[in-house]
Amino acid sequence: MGLQISFINIKLIVVSCILGFSMALSGCAPSVMQTQTNIYRETPQNNDELKEDTGKADINPRVLAALQLTEQGRIFLENNQPDDAIGILERALNLNPDNGKNYYYLAEAWLMKGNIDQAAEFNRLAEIYLKDDSEWLNRVILQKERIKERYQ
Amino acid sequence: MTKKKRSIYLTLKRMFKWYLLAFVLICGAILVYCWYLSIQIDKRFSGRRWSIPSKVYSDTTILYPGQKINRTLLNEKLLRLGYREVDHKLVDKGELHRSASSIELYLHDFKVPSRYKEGVRVQIRFDGNRIESITNLNTGQLWPILELEPEEVGLFFGPHRERRQLVSIDQIPQHLIHAVLAAEDHRFYTHKGLDPKGILRAIYTNLRHVSIRQGGSTITQQLAKNYFLTPKRTFIRKLKELFMSLTIEMMYEKNEILEIYLNEIYLGQKASEAINGIGEASFFYFDKPVSKLSLDEAATLAGLIRGPNHYSPYVNKDRCRKRRNSVLNAMYEQGWISDEELKAALPLPVEAVGYASYGKKAPYFMDYLSDQLTVLYSPQDLSSLGLSIYTTLDTQVQLAAENALKRGLDSLEKSNPLLHRTDPQKQLQGAVIVMQPKTGYILAMVGGRNYSSSQFNRITQARRQPGSAFKPLVYLSGLDKFTPASLLSNEPKVYEVDGKEWKPQNYEPMVEERVRMRDALARSINLATVDLAMQVGIDQIITTVDKFGFSTPLKPYPSIALGSFEVIPLELARAYCPFAADGVLSYPLALKEVLDENDVVIERRHVSIKQVTTPEKAFIMSSLLQSVVDYGTASSLKMMGIDFPVAGKTGTTSDYRDAWFVGYTPDILALIWVGFDDGASIQASGSRAALPIWAELMNALPQYVSGGWFRMPPGVVKRVICSESGQLAVENRCPHPMEEYFLADHVPTDYCQIHGSGNSFGEIIDGITDFFHKY
Repeated sequence: MGLQISFINIKLIVVSCILGFSMALSGCAPSVMQTQTNIYRETPQNNDELKEDTGKADINPRVLAALQLTEQGRIFLENNQPDDAIGILERALNLNPDNGKNYYYLAEAWLMKGNIDQAAEFNRLAEIYLKDDSEWLNRVILQKERIKERYQ
Repeated sequence: MTKKKRSIYLTLKRMFKWYLLAFVLICGAILVYCWYLSIQIDKRFSGRRWSIPSKVYSDTTILYPGQKINRTLLNEKLLRLGYREVDHKLVDKGELHRSASSIELYLHDFKVPSRYKEGVRVQIRFDGNRIESITNLNTGQLWPILELEPEEVGLFFGPHRERRQLVSIDQIPQHLIHAVLAAEDHRFYTHKGLDPKGILRAIYTNLRHVSIRQGGSTITQQLAKNYFLTPKRTFIRKLKELFMSLTIEMMYEKNEILEIYLNEIYLGQKASEAINGIGEASFFYFDKPVSKLSLDEAATLAGLIRGPNHYSPYVNKDRCRKRRNSVLNAMYEQGWISDEELKAALPLPVEAVGYASYGKKAPYFMDYLSDQLTVLYSPQDLSSLGLSIYTTLDTQVQLAAENALKRGLDSLEKSNPLLHRTDPQKQLQGAVIVMQPKTGYILAMVGGRNYSSSQFNRITQARRQPGSAFKPLVYLSGLDKFTPASLLSNEPKVYEVDGKEWKPQNYEPMVEERVRMRDALARSINLATVDLAMQVGIDQIITTVDKFGFSTPLKPYPSIALGSFEVIPLELARAYCPFAADGVLSYPLALKEVLDENDVVIERRHVSIKQVTTPEKAFIMSSLLQSVVDYGTASSLKMMGIDFPVAGKTGTTSDYRDAWFVGYTPDILALIWVGFDDGASIQASGSRAALPIWAELMNALPQYVSGGWFRMPPGVVKRVICSESGQLAVENRCPHPMEEYFLADHVPTDYCQIHGSGNSFGEIIDGITDFFHKY
């Protein structure tokens, strides 16, 4: 009888040990290895606005190179990515500080981000550099009005 | 039952109870211990498994047709970017083929925040030191611009200095997994953390050779040992390793264990940095991601696990090849590769790509960056979160700046042995900062001569008197009342400062009693500058200067005109930027973006600008400062190979304690400082000590020299004046007429009284001419 009880006890103990062990471990859910998922876009392609500038026969290669960056910035803006646009427009600005369109788009990007002071600064610079381009100057003036409205 | 039998039965029963109790206690203890281990394992694995150092990257490099370049610096740049020279047609990404007139590149994939481009083959053709064309060799299309990927500049390491690139098990090719299993644990997928057969085989082999030839550790045991335990070989540690292996096996799937193991293992050494994980090793030895590894390359990496430095192809290629072949044979024995694959792989040589071991790049810049980053992240996070930090640094400019400073200081010491000091802590020092004035991008920063002997950053931490390099701010303050043609007094005067006499002097004796403002700045004439400052008013100067963002205090003393108050060199460089940027002051920018380990942008810095003066005044200041280079104190630049328009100002302080030059074009601005930390005299002026360094730097950076100049804003007009009187020139009367710029509302109206008097007819004619000119 005693031996029978002992065997039952042993079984119980072993089973409980296994169960306990399993339970203890089951609480430690294995973690999932994180995989790197990169979401990138292809670099924007040229459009008509850029072609209009790049089509000029006497265009300086540096200006042309900078325009490629400006165009990429513009497309980022179209896609509502002002931070990405600013990053690339800054590079364009460093490459060709005379390109008024850079300042215009930078002002647009800052407007999009809601930083009106920076938008106003870049708009002012755009006006300086685009003063001889009546079409663009109009856009700059309209932009200035939009900035003023945002101030109010 | 006899009494004796009953006694035996009771004894056995008692003994059994004790054994049972002991068994239960041991099981319980093991259970508790395994439970404790499981908590440890889970804590470690469910959180961040590895400390991944954050990487700092330079900015991208822009190349375009027509651009002048320094081919030596470009070649060095390409090598630092990991391009390797080959003498065959380009086959793999990262290959470079050079000829006298062109470079062919198989570009790496271009990956920066928000932009990604697959690497393609391109050809860059040169016409001397100018890029003639950039052609996409895949399509034959001419490219107007090529952006090279950012360069790794440095890492923020934890205490173990480990480099690691994580890979998931799905990215690892099957032949690499098989190679690792063949090399380390071919029964991995069938055992439960321990491999009794392997242990017995190891014991047998070791006994047969009377030495430790083989270890019986499974991959799980190795993982437990590397991850949680000390390398010390003790029985207790072995027991711990055993329990931990069993626990890991119960907690995780086999593939998960293998993935952790492959990311964990130590696989070599790059200078002081440990190469950990198969992902990093794949790039370190073969410059490619694991998914692209060939069979023989996979076997080479697997063979390294046993002794990464012993079997390293960088240490001994023959030994590495033998080890690789033994792995290949083991794979064949397991049936994981075919006979053909084995025969094809065995004779192949081991071709590791090589690597450039480098010291700390741009160390002062890194410190400056680190100061900014530690506001955002703790040093522990920086060394473990695997962040990617993108900066404005241009490594070509940085190297050029370091070289120019070193050569300049060496040359000064050579020409004046009194400047040479043997103690590295006390030697002649210098500092350079290069910025892009429109955006405030910091392209390079050299805070001292030798970072290893002095980490004091003289660009960001030093406070030095700027001397005449401060004068432009005084002249800017004067533009509301004076014009570049205004005559200033050059006569000695005595001023009272705090009840004491102050008698400024010129650098060298001069006979002129009056000088035009343009000349006074170009020739850095002290007396005329003090005269201007006193007429403008010291308070007015301080009001102007305050806008330029100096953090050091300025007191309203007349000596402010001569730069007697200390400034931080970075702030002085910044204060010149508005002259080159239409009056706009930009905040110095070093940090651009921070990405987390999943390439998600978590921090962004943009150019931040504010107007501190008008574009008209900025243009006139640039014009005045151009005269410094044209015929003033920096005119020797022309003899140093600088043949493009430059504006700038020299500076020399009392007893030649500091020598400065700040020079700029519309594209680039650089400040040079030379001096001793202890304020001893360097016995040389700014034009003698600092100017040659600036020239050497710019000569090394043709890619930043467009040769352009600033556009004249609408509010500026040009008039012909008499160089003696500074008044409007009278035609055919004034012997030295010259063109001068004026603010539109400050145009002089009086005609030269020196040469024009007594010629009323001439004045009338000039007046009529001027009338038509105006209207």
